[in-house]
Amino acid sequence: MASHALGVTGTYPLVLTLWLLPLLGAIICWAFGPQLRTMSGWLASALVGISFVLAVASWSDATQGAGGTLGAHQPLASWLPGFDFGLLLDPLSLIWTFIITGVGFLIVFYSIGYMDGDRAFARFFAYMSFFVFAMLTLVLSDNFIGLLVGWGLVGLASYFLIGFWFERQSAVAAARKAFVINVVGDVGMMFAIFLIVANVHSINFGAVFAAAPALSAGVLFAICVTLFIGAAAKSAQIPLHTWLPDAMEGPTPVSALIHAATMVTAGVYLVARCAPLWDHSHGAQLLVGGIGAATALVGAILGTAQWDIKRILAYSTMSQIGYMIMGVGVGAYEGGIAHFFAHAFFKAQLFLGAGLIIHALADEQDIRAMGGLRRRMPFAFWVMLTAVLSICGVPGFSGFFSKDAVIYGALQHGHPWVYATDIVTAGITAYYMFRLLFVAFLGEYRGEAAQARAAAEPARRPHAPAWIMNAPVAVLIAPSVAIGAVLMFGGENSPWQRFFAPLFGATSSRAIALPPVSEGVTTLLVFITVIIGFAIAWQRYATRSAQADAVARLRRESERMPALLTNLLYFDWLIERLFVRPAQQLGALFGRVLDPHVFDGAVRDLVYWARWLGTLVRSFQTGLVRAYALILVAGAACFIVYYAVAAGVR
Amino acid sequence: MVVPIGDYVALAAVIFFIGVFGVIVRRNPLIMLMSIELMLNAGNLLLVAFARLWLQNAGQIFAFIVITVAAAEAAIGLAIIVTTFRPERFVDVDDVRSLHG
Amino acid sequence: MIAFWTLAAILIGSAVWTIVAAKPVYSVVALLINFAALAVVYLTLSAEFLGVIQIIVYSGAILVLFVFVIALLSSGVAPFAIGPNRLPKIWIPTAVAVLAALGFLIFAVARAPQGSAPATAPVGNQGVFGSIADFGKALFTVQLLPFEVTALVLMVAVIGVITLGGEQMREVRPRAQAATDRRMREAILREGKG
Repeated sequence: MASHALGVTGTYPLVLTLWLLPLLGAIICWAFGPQLRTMSGWLASALVGISFVLAVASWSDATQGAGGTLGAHQPLASWLPGFDFGLLLDPLSLIWTFIITGVGFLIVFYSIGYMDGDRAFARFFAYMSFFVFAMLTLVLSDNFIGLLVGWGLVGLASYFLIGFWFERQSAVAAARKAFVINVVGDVGMMFAIFLIVANVHSINFGAVFAAAPALSAGVLFAICVTLFIGAAAKSAQIPLHTWLPDAMEGPTPVSALIHAATMVTAGVYLVARCAPLWDHSHGAQLLVGGIGAATALVGAILGTAQWDIKRILAYSTMSQIGYMIMGVGVGAYEGGIAHFFAHAFFKAQLFLGAGLIIHALADEQDIRAMGGLRRRMPFAFWVMLTAVLSICGVPGFSGFFSKDAVIYGALQHGHPWVYATDIVTAGITAYYMFRLLFVAFLGEYRGEAAQARAAAEPARRPHAPAWIMNAPVAVLIAPSVAIGAVLMFGGENSPWQRFFAPLFGATSSRAIALPPVSEGVTTLLVFITVIIGFAIAWQRYATRSAQADAVARLRRESERMPALLTNLLYFDWLIERLFVRPAQQLGALFGRVLDPHVFDGAVRDLVYWARWLGTLVRSFQTGLVRAYALILVAGAACFIVYYAVAAGVR
Repeated sequence: MVVPIGDYVALAAVIFFIGVFGVIVRRNPLIMLMSIELMLNAGNLLLVAFARLWLQNAGQIFAFIVITVAAAEAAIGLAIIVTTFRPERFVDVDDVRSLHG
Repeated sequence: MIAFWTLAAILIGSAVWTIVAAKPVYSVVALLINFAALAVVYLTLSAEFLGVIQIIVYSGAILVLFVFVIALLSSGVAPFAIGPNRLPKIWIPTAVAVLAALGFLIFAVARAPQGSAPATAPVGNQGVFGSIADFGKALFTVQLLPFEVTALVLMVAVIGVITLGGEQMREVRPRAQAATDRRMREAILREGKG
């Protein structure tokens, strides 16, 4: 078992700087946006890029020390005893920082092209920089309160960016939905912190994890569950996943950065960070593993029924995060994090590729109105193809190594049902990803009508040079293809496993002794299901006969879509019935009963009595001098009687 | 001093309350002012009677001051009455032509 | 003793007449009787100076002022108030209450122990208590400050009366001026026509 004490305490200007630089960018872009104009994009991406360089430069600091003091710890502020704030850069937060700043840099750079001509160009980059800062706060904090602050700030940034085009009603609604569900998660985490403070009297990771083995099973389970509520809301796990597909209303780079690569994986980070808690609570492992697997399956199933290219990717994101959560939940931390790492690349690539298509087709997102794009946009095709191969886990690509690690990890840690679910999900993943690829890129172009409409409008945005958008995507291809082979090949002795060994300890010490199925067989099983999924997709969308009457077939398919799938398995419906309507009815009840009759009623009664008193007093104010004299005399008479009685006259 | 002091007090009280009655019941501002004078005189009577009882002329001095204040009050009060209730404000008799046909 | 009761009867009777008289002029006459009787009472209480002052100031100055105002308001012979009585009819219970208080007071005074008057000092007009010399000496030595304050009060009253009258004059003058102008204009027009 690894010790999770804090790292080597000292002064790490690199860490401090890489944390604050995006904030600086956000402030500058926010304050001087109108003056900077397009410069704001270059500035924001430059600052995020510098952060990435600094993160790489901090490598030796982050991996220094061992055992009790792994990583670099920079104190920031002291509050009460046991409540110190600081930054912690250890292997885990280093990996996340790499993705946040590295992939973040590519996506922000890409946005310079994607957002070109937008009215609120600088505002977009201010929000993006702010998001990067918030996310860094989340992963660099060395305590639960800092984590919660980052947790809330990324939710806020996500809200800003989903609702970026706030002229659109749907964007505003989606932003609100995302924010509300995220706040549910924040409240869950808050209760987790209450429990932790009440039982451990500290918020620092080191102290809490050191105290974890001593906590009673019930308390530990409660902490894990409340923490996981936060993780589930942020990472779109069942049943708090419904905001993620709607969040695609934001600009595509936002979807790539926030709703694919970084923010939605915060739940994975949280569970991995709190590994010592999960290690000691078998119930929590079972719960989180089960929910992760269910999310993976549900996301994949729903992904098969979507036509909007970004929504397909959103459900695939949800499904892949299900894999990660499942991995870290059952204890296969290295596998879950590896899948996060690989996923960040290929999913960003998918989204940015989709962004290329959407940008080129004047905001067309429906794959039924695409088709034949392989010849029109060969670069986008190759980008999407490599990413799809990677996400499906085709041997040799990054996704293959990470996904296998996760799936096999479930079995290694004794969860055969989760394992089986994951293998099925892998097949479905292959089906819907290749479906996307075939429908959008093969056959004949079907979007003439839509394009004619778009062409009738005046050109909305002057297009920036293509290389600004193509270059980041091209850079992403390399890691999404090769990073698995480089880092994760070699089982126990892979560089990846050795990198995390100081943090999580050796895998063999946590896994069960002898899994019933070997890793090689697992790979084979996954590969077979992927082939099946691919074959079905090929049969339905890619064969010559299927492409001959593609328009009619696609329309027929959309019409015959099972109600269960078009209604997204009734999750929204259930939430609406179980929570939203009762809440609205409660509010209406308050509005009808409590507010007018209790709160307003109290105020009205007060007003009534004040007025009554005023009327009473005013009735003495007759303006008649004689009436005043009368009152004066009556008062004098009262005095006379009083003194007479007081003097004892009888 | 053959008359007991209690009789003076009773006499003063009676006059005072007659004045009070006048202020409350009458509507003529002049009579109301006169009633006030009555009340002041009732007070003076008490002051003088007690000054005689204890042979202290401070009571008489105080009564003297009350008389001056009463004079001032009457002047002011009558001025207010004249200002308020005077029906015809013109001094030029040529302008009083309410009867012309 | 007999003198006191006679005077008391005159005082009460004239006071009642003052408030029940139908016309203010009668009230003035009743008040004159009242003040005169009170001056006699003062003399019996060896307050010689006050008795004289009572006649001069009240009867001579204040009541004459009242008569002037009555004459000025041309209501000396008619009931002053002709509008409705706006005081509600609660004056009867009030009167009952006030009378009850009065009766109670008199009753209480009658029951109270009578202070024995230390009337041993010489009383009269030869430099002893109550004489004009005694009063004047006290007024200009021991009680000088109240005396000066009295002067101040009177001055303030004079200023107040002038202010009230001045307001009246300010209102009157422009209207008189306007009337004069109108007359002059009419005269000029007539001449022009002629």
